[in-house]
Amino acid sequence: MNFAITLHDITKSYDGFTAVDAFSLEVQRGTVFGLLGPNGAGKTTLIKILTTLMRPTLGDAFVEGHSVLTAGKDVRRMIGVVPQENNLDRYLTARENLALHARLHGMRPAVYNPRLDELLEMTGLAGRQHDFPDTFSGGMQRRLVVARALVHEPRVLFLDEPTTGLDPQSRRSLWDHIRGLRRTMTVFLTTHYMDEADALCDRIMIMDHGHCLADGTATQLKDAFSRAHTYQVEFRNDADRYQGVLAGLPFVKGVERDGSLFQITLADEASIKPLMDHLAGSDIRRICLKEPSLEDVFISLTGEKVRE
Amino acid sequence: MFRGAFSIWGRDMLVLRRSIFSELVSVIAYPLTLYLAFGFGLKGYITAVNGVPYPLFIAPGLISMTAVNAAFDESSWSMWFHRKVQRTIEEYRVTPVTVYDIVIGKIFSGFSQGAVKGTVVFLVILILTPFRIDYANLPMYLLCIALSSMTFSCLGTICGTVIDKPENIGRVQSVVIVPLIFMAGIFFPLSSYPSSILPLIQLLPTTAVFEGARDALLTGTIPSQYLVNLVLSAAFCFTVAVYTFNRKMAE
Ligand SMILES: Nc1ncnc2c1ncn2[C@@H]1O[C@H](COP(=O)(O)OP(=O)(O)OP(=O)(O)O)[C@@H](O)[C@H]1O
Ligand SMILES: [Mg+2]
Repeated sequence: MNFAITLHDITKSYDGFTAVDAFSLEVQRGTVFGLLGPNGAGKTTLIKILTTLMRPTLGDAFVEGHSVLTAGKDVRRMIGVVPQENNLDRYLTARENLALHARLHGMRPAVYNPRLDELLEMTGLAGRQHDFPDTFSGGMQRRLVVARALVHEPRVLFLDEPTTGLDPQSRRSLWDHIRGLRRTMTVFLTTHYMDEADALCDRIMIMDHGHCLADGTATQLKDAFSRAHTYQVEFRNDADRYQGVLAGLPFVKGVERDGSLFQITLADEASIKPLMDHLAGSDIRRICLKEPSLEDVFISLTGEKVRE
Repeated sequence: MFRGAFSIWGRDMLVLRRSIFSELVSVIAYPLTLYLAFGFGLKGYITAVNGVPYPLFIAPGLISMTAVNAAFDESSWSMWFHRKVQRTIEEYRVTPVTVYDIVIGKIFSGFSQGAVKGTVVFLVILILTPFRIDYANLPMYLLCIALSSMTFSCLGTICGTVIDKPENIGRVQSVVIVPLIFMAGIFFPLSSYPSSILPLIQLLPTTAVFEGARDALLTGTIPSQYLVNLVLSAAFCFTVAVYTFNRKMAE
């Protein structure tokens, strides 16, 4: 069996409201899987089910082959969890936070102490290990939570918005870190940052209202869902006349105008040639292909409306 | 088995050790004030209750009161704080420990707080008081305090588990816990009650706590009716606390 995480028709309802709806998924071992979705999509709910904090209303899920319903303890032995909100113990020092976690995993001091040194060094917290976490900045607390999730060398790591509130340096160093883990661990993360998903994830799933909307690598998603044949054309003069011309061309699927700058969506890639035939080269200041971004995919799938 | 409970209890004891001095000052101030105000202030008016000097009459109850209050406080607030504020319970729950480990660890932390603080008040009163007790009675007295701390720690755990709003924990304390304690006859003999309600009062777990503790310290024996009450209360509250926590976590 090559899957680290398997979900079979997982449904979770909160008194009548369905947060996750018959969700099925298989995540390949040793990959970084990214779950994207607007606020309230059901990402945290899925992570809580997979980490045995919450029972699904229907369905079952397996982590490294152990059912979250019947073998919760075995699941918890395998996983490390970085929750959406830091849940550090503010009455324990940074190091004691990690040590308690190690003890809860049944590790002995001789085993966990070297590991703690290593993790504190790696997260840049070695110098502050005897301080209490409420004297830390938000980013330092986040790094401590990540270090805590790694103490027992989990096989599957769940990260719920790991880089929210981090500065660009910390984000990048955390990314490097996650990339380094990939071979030995399966990583399941949620994020609102498209560049993060793009940079980090082997596979991306976009969900909303408890359903999966799209699934694939970043490249696949961009190809399949975004307006891949959109060109930006800026005219030197005669913009009004060209607006009429463009409206009359059959292979032009959409035109958006902002002054003399046009966004032209074509029916397919081959339409660029006939388009050029209708535009006089001397009137064009600039023409370029608009590279689709993951954000375009996300917005086109989930809509522009802000969630209440 | 219960290694997780032991780790969680160890965490709570580490935190208690760090703040022990300020904790003790605040925890001793209250019973000591009562002891000085009633025990010495009223000494001229109440010479003896059933042949026992008044300060000695109230001392065992004050010590037990400190212990059970500390147990209830620690268990309720700590459970609430770790569940709702710090969310450390969630961190415990994604490790291989079970919910039983967590709730039992927390119950024993409340119990230990009660035991430590009760002991310190006991020592302070012992130093202040001119009479000496019979040390042979001590084991029975400690058993009594241990059972009562257990009961109140479990009650606190139940409150901290089911109550989400902190002000409601305060309300339970002032509406349930304080009346239960004061009705049970720390400051007056139960014979002051009209005979019609006395049997009811005698059934209260707190009556067993305070009357039992006084009898244990002064005579070395606990009336069997109180001992049975203490054991049953502790066992019952423990079961309910574990069950309640388990249910809450499965939501
Ligand atoms: N304990 C709860 N009781 C009732 N409804 C809940 C509860 N927890 C979550 N929900 C609802 O379930 C839906 C999914 O919530 P969830 O926290 O999984 O979203 P999310 O994708 O993690 O969002 P975000 O990006 O804001 O973190 C939301 O509509 C939320 O209101
Ligand atoms: Mg979330």
